[in-house]
Amino acid sequence: MKRMVKLFLPVLCLSLILAMSAGAAVTPTEQVKVEVDHILDLLKDKKIDSASRIEQIDNLIRNRFDFQTMSQWILGINWRKATPEQQNRFVDLFTQLLETTYRGRIEAYVQEYTDEHVKYVGEQVRKGKALVETLVVTKSAEIPINYKLLLETDEWRVYDVVIEKVSLISNYRSTYDEIVRKEGFEGLFNRMEKKIEALKNGADPKEVKP
Amino acid sequence: MRSLILAVTLSLWLICMSFPAIAAEQLSPTGAGISAPVENALGFEDPFAEESANVQVSDPIEPFNRAMFWFNDKLYFYLLKPVARGYRFIVPEPVRISVGNFFSNLGTPVRFANSALQLKVGDAGIELTRFLLNTTFGVAGLFDFAKAQGMREKDEDFGQTLGRYGVGPGFYLVLPVFGPSNPRDAVGRVADYFIDPITSPYYVKLHWYESLALKTYDRVNFLSLDKDTYEGIKEDSLDPYLFIRNAYAQRRAALVAE
Repeated sequence: MKRMVKLFLPVLCLSLILAMSAGAAVTPTEQVKVEVDHILDLLKDKKIDSASRIEQIDNLIRNRFDFQTMSQWILGINWRKATPEQQNRFVDLFTQLLETTYRGRIEAYVQEYTDEHVKYVGEQVRKGKALVETLVVTKSAEIPINYKLLLETDEWRVYDVVIEKVSLISNYRSTYDEIVRKEGFEGLFNRMEKKIEALKNGADPKEVKP
Repeated sequence: MRSLILAVTLSLWLICMSFPAIAAEQLSPTGAGISAPVENALGFEDPFAEESANVQVSDPIEPFNRAMFWFNDKLYFYLLKPVARGYRFIVPEPVRISVGNFFSNLGTPVRFANSALQLKVGDAGIELTRFLLNTTFGVAGLFDFAKAQGMREKDEDFGQTLGRYGVGPGFYLVLPVFGPSNPRDAVGRVADYFIDPITSPYYVKLHWYESLALKTYDRVNFLSLDKDTYEGIKEDSLDPYLFIRNAYAQRRAALVAE
């Protein structure tokens, strides 16, 4: 299971970028390939200074990540129960949370980046949505990672990442659902804000309450 | 001693057999541990939805689980990870990868037996072939020669075997030291204990302290190759306990299904 989450978040970040597309004529896999290669190059390039690299990645994230769909799907039933203000606040917080998370992940990832490469092993397209299957090959493991994308006026954007058959969105949904049930929306928003703060200040995982 | 283990296993089994029913009542009328797909607010349909992604885990002993989770957390940060880091500092990575391969090779009987029990003849055959190739050409399992020939290891354990024959996972259970689990998989662990050459009292027959030392070494070696996965989960998730609970359930459901 640890393998499963090993690249969970850095690869999610890759996935945010991978959906950049030049047009619907290009297949989802080709889109994934272009972007993953782009990201891998950015990560490998030691000459880029860290700030510029992060900025480039941030831009890609902001443009390509389908936050709206992911937010709605993650809240699930709770989305309908939420007021429009709460919905907007959630989307906003969720966007910030993911951006801050992946900024940190990318930094950590860059330091540890070794010879990992990505194999593209399959693609399916159904009803305006696509599944791109990849394998991330490292020295000690091969991790199957699948991206689900949806087509929005010419662009493929990611709405879920599945690592070793564990769906990211489902996991978020399950976690957030429990938090909303026990602590309400305010509780959830509080936690998200605190987490964003902690990530910005670089909290020590040892001290994080398990 | 042996009869005690068998007695405990049997009683856990009996409890476990009743769990599909209990869990089903708590979760959904469909009677499985997997509920119907959660309807998205916009009627968004995911044609690639995995069945295993919709698992809902019941957690009736959550205080106990959270305590065990806390214990494992401390064990990790204050014992296992420091030892693994020290070990990582001293021993080069290729060696540690070989050690990992070695232990993985020794795990063949468990994977082979459970593949066979699930009537997955092809997979059982591959495990056997991998073992033979890696033990000979791979020098006692140090090198994963078979992987280079395209034969991949497949994770199988007795918990999955039970799952294949209809035993539901039951509720979420965090075991001290061993981590996330559930009654079915815990019983599975006990069964695999008797199949695994390092621990089995039926063959090889190591002393208990030898088994313990080897298993601990296997764990430390594994952690030394790990890229701070758990730290990452703690840093990034709003609630690591919930994250792991759900991820474990999804993963087990997927493993049983494949």
